[in-house]
Parts: sequence; C-alpha cells; structure tokens
Amino acid sequence: MKTYELIEHTADIGIRVKGSDLKELFRNAAAAMFDIIAEKKEPEIKKQAEIKIKQKADNLEELFVNWLNELLSLSATKELIFSGFQINKVDKNTLQAVAMGEDIKNYKVNTEIKAATYHELKLEKSSGGWQAEVIFDV
Amino acid sequence: MSDIWQGPLEKIDDYRWRIPKSYKPGMRVPGIIYADEKLLKDIRHDKALEQVANVAFLPGIVNASLAMPDIHWGYGFSIGGVAATDIEQGGVISPGGVGFDINCGVRMLKTNFQYEEIKDRIKDLVYTLFSDVPAGVGSKGDIRVSAREEKEILFKGSKWAVDKGYGTEEDLECTEEYGAIQGADPSCVSDRAYERGKAQSGTLGSGNHFLEIQVIDQLYDRDICDEFELTLGQVTIMIHSGSRGLGYQVCDDYTKSMIHCLQKYNINVPDRQLACAPVNSPEGKNYLGAMKCAANYAWANRQCLMHLTRKVFEKVFGMPWEKMGMYLIYDVAHNIAKLEKYIIDDKEKTLCVHRKGATRAFGPGHPALPPRYKKTGQPVIIPGDMGRNSYLLVGTQKAIEETFGSTCHGAGRLKSRTAATKSINLDALLKELESKGIMVKASGRGTIVEEAPEAYKDVNEVVNVVHNVGISKRVCRMRPLGVIKG
Repeated sequence: MKTYELIEHTADIGIRVKGSDLKELFRNAAAAMFDIIAEKKEPEIKKQAEIKIKQKADNLEELFVNWLNELLSLSATKELIFSGFQINKVDKNTLQAVAMGEDIKNYKVNTEIKAATYHELKLEKSSGGWQAEVIFDV
Repeated sequence: MSDIWQGPLEKIDDYRWRIPKSYKPGMRVPGIIYADEKLLKDIRHDKALEQVANVAFLPGIVNASLAMPDIHWGYGFSIGGVAATDIEQGGVISPGGVGFDINCGVRMLKTNFQYEEIKDRIKDLVYTLFSDVPAGVGSKGDIRVSAREEKEILFKGSKWAVDKGYGTEEDLECTEEYGAIQGADPSCVSDRAYERGKAQSGTLGSGNHFLEIQVIDQLYDRDICDEFELTLGQVTIMIHSGSRGLGYQVCDDYTKSMIHCLQKYNINVPDRQLACAPVNSPEGKNYLGAMKCAANYAWANRQCLMHLTRKVFEKVFGMPWEKMGMYLIYDVAHNIAKLEKYIIDDKEKTLCVHRKGATRAFGPGHPALPPRYKKTGQPVIIPGDMGRNSYLLVGTQKAIEETFGSTCHGAGRLKSRTAATKSINLDALLKELESKGIMVKASGRGTIVEEAPEAYKDVNEVVNVVHNVGISKRVCRMRPLGVIKG
C-alpha cells in the first residue's frame, strides 16, 4: 500500500506523506522519494550497504529537507538506491538514522530527482499523527 | 493547480502586464510579465505569478521582477524569471534564482546536409547517437576524469575539453563566456559536489534534456541567415543539458547555508527557497565562486556531448565532421546568475542578473560578443517540445534596455508530469510523431510521455511575444527529425 500521494505541480513532483509519529514520517517520506526514483528489477533483496546519517538543522522542516537531500546526494555518489530506513532519533534539531541501500544496477531508474525544495514545504501534526508536503525538483 | 491566480494584473500593452508593488507588503518593485492574452490565461493557472511577486522582495532588486512568456511554476523563482540586483545597494544573489541545474543550457550546430540528402539515414543516426551518447538518470560517460582534472574543468570549462582534443578554438568563440566564466573558485565547491560530478562529464542526463537532429523549416531574417550560412531544408543539431550532479549539490549546499543568511542580514522573503545573501558578503562571494565552477562544468559537458555527436556523424557518414560542416552556431546558458553592467538612471551599475529559465540576448555591438556576432547580435537558441518547433533568434538593444539583456528560454511547461502520464498513451504518441517524420529514442518510456508536446505551451506563441516586443528577433525556425532523450 502506498503511504504517499502525488501533488500536482506544473514542472516538478510533489508528495503528501503521512506517519503515525515523526520517525515514521521521515521513513515514509524517504521511501516515497525512492519509489518515485526507481523500481526493483529483481524481487530478492540484497542489502549491500548501510550508511549512518546524522543531520542537524534549525528546525524540523529544514531537518526534513536536509534528510531527503542527504539521501539523494549519497544515492548519487555511492550509486545506491535506498530501500530501508531506520530512524534512531529525531527531534526538532537532530536526526540520527541508518539507510539501507542496494546497488543501483538492481533497479530500473525512472525519474531523476535533483533535490527536495523548501518551496511550499509543510510539516504538521494532525489528529492521526504527522503529515508533510514537499516538492522535488525533477 | 486548478486554482486560478486572483492577484491584480494591470495591462501595460498587448504583450506586457504588471503586478503592482502594492499587491503584497514587502515587494520592493512591481512584477512585469511578458505575455499575450492567450498565454496569460494558462499562466494564471498555476502559482507562477505569485512567485513573480515573491521575487520582488529580494533586497537590491532593480526596476522589476520580470517574467518571460514561457513562465511557469517553479520553486522559489518561477521558471522564466529574470531579476537583477544592484550589488552596491546590498543587492543579493540567490541560489534559488539559478536553480539546481546550474548552467542548464543549449547549443546549436549546423551541418551542410540538406534534409533530402539524409532523410533515409535519420534512423541510423538516432540509433548510433542513442548508443554512443550516454543518457539517462545518473548516466556515466566514457570520458573519465581524475580528481585533479575535475578541478581543471571547473576553471577551464569548455577549454578543458578542447585541450583534450574534443573540439576547436572556434567552438570556444561560439560559446557564451567563451565556455569559461571568470572567477570560478574550486575551493568553494564541497567534496560531496566533486564526488557527485565525477564520471558524469559528457553525459546528457534525463528529464527534459535532449539531443535533436532538426531541419530548418522557415526563414525569417534572410540577411542574418545568409550571415550565419543557414538555408531552408538545412539539417541542424541541438543539444540541451546542464551541470548534472555537481550543480545540484552546489545549489543544495548553498541554499542550506543561505537560509541562515536571511536572519544574519535581516532579509525578509516569503519563501525559503529564495534564501539569499548580499553579493558582496562572504556567503554571496562563495556561492558565486562555486556557481561559476558548476557553470564551467556544464559548458565542458555540452562541449563533450557535441564532440560525441560529431563522432557519431563521422561513423555514420564516414567523413570528417569539418567536411560535413558541423560547426557550432552558439551555446547559451539559461539557468545562471551573472554580474553585468547596465545604465540605470543615467548611471552605469554592476548588477547581478539572475536568469532562471531565461536566456541572455545581447544586441549588436555588445562588448561581450565575439567579432563574428558583433554585427548581428548574439544568437539565442530556443528549444521547443519534441513534436513542434525550435527557434534561432538574435538578441537586441531593446533587451539591454528593458529586460537586462534577457529573453525566453523555451516553450514552458503547461501540464504536470503526472497529468501528462495519466492522459497520454505512449504508443499513440509515438505513432503520431512518426507520422510527422519524427523518430524518438529514450532510455525511459516514461520520459517520452512526460515530455509529450501537449505537456508544453506552443513555442511559436512564446517566440511571437518576444519577437513582437522586440527583446529578441526571429532568425529561423526548425522542426525535429530525430530525438534522443534521457
């Protein structure tokens, strides 16, 4: 089941994503981003790399964008597609996580996302947990 | 997106519209949109006009926040936006006003083939180009560079490629900034950006980037066509690409750091993606140093792509590229910020001109132009969509006076990628293109649908506006024959 929906944007791609808590929100947003980027060619999962990620920011919204952009950047330099995310700690200023990635060759890449942007960025607590909206430059 | 923008829009004349400064408290100048009534109807359908108003908040902005007729909703700046800031008056530079794909741009080269002579070879050319020119997401090229060489690319731009044997000195003369903007500072580029740019030289990339074989189907200014040696039915080539991962990382790094500058320099902007710093601040200077590196990387990249294209033609036709007349007409950047001099209120001022989806369009006699284009004005290359037309224009004095030497950059998107994917059938589209004599090869099937002609405005209407306003002048029009997409 998809944990995100697409938001219409003329040139780029936006997503609306939910999570029962902040950890799940960050995890679902990252999974949604890589779901847009690539699809698996082979069913079996060979975990090939685990990367520790630490981020700091002035506020939660910036932390959220930094997290997504750090993943895009690592994906490009390490030639990995990330499919698993473990969020060990997230508060308003810091994030500690581990991203599990596989060789990009195991995937069919559909869309290049250049970056997550701050434009119309929304991150809010709702009745059922957390919701975020973010627009990607593609 | 179905919401129609409700802000105030005053008609100046048939092609110019104003968002008054009074629209939002904090706007320092009005917004001016270049469009006709028909284009404006589409423009109102997304948030582009709100973004034009938001850009008017930038400290030091001069005259107006401008929008070209291909304007559409971006992030921070609209795509098709031009903003100039006065650096002596605390004028700012914004990475969002350049975009992630720094020096995304386009080059056009000619051949001495007539369409009739090679119409049976288009298929061979398209297949060979598709196999020999690396394209697609994160594609890597055969042109591999060491870390030391990558630094050299950031300084030397296209000249690096020419020194390697991938082109000639004449190519440099036919490139904006001669293929290397001065003042690039590799020490301002992060290690991550270096790493992200590695192995991507000489690759097309994906999305709207392309390589097209085209044919000239309409001449407008016969004198300039004669000057450029262009005739009806002549085959030309267009290459659209940018700075790839290196540029994205530079933009990301500096947007992040400039968000802190908003508080530090007491800057009020309504969108964090407009994060900026005074051009003369340490942060502004560092961004400029890094942005120029990414710009040079992009010029080197397009030079390498042109080299690969010439090699493909040599392979298919078995003769040297010079004999096929594959000379570069010009290469322009359409995502960049430049320090340029303009007369403002009778005084010469150095302005930081942001062109976010806009093309430089210097008129005849401008000192930045090479001798060969001094008389005609700068060639301006406007790619359209894969099913209709592209244009060659020249810059004008009017552009210098009115739009900080700028004009449009393309057709401009009309439909979102998701909407295009929902409404367009790939096989029907390919058949339709084929019936028009257009052959398309792309690494991803999705790309063709997302980039379908109906997802774009009609470039003919866009060019009509800039020509009639006089901020550039039509030279000739091309239509596509073969298209390679990422």
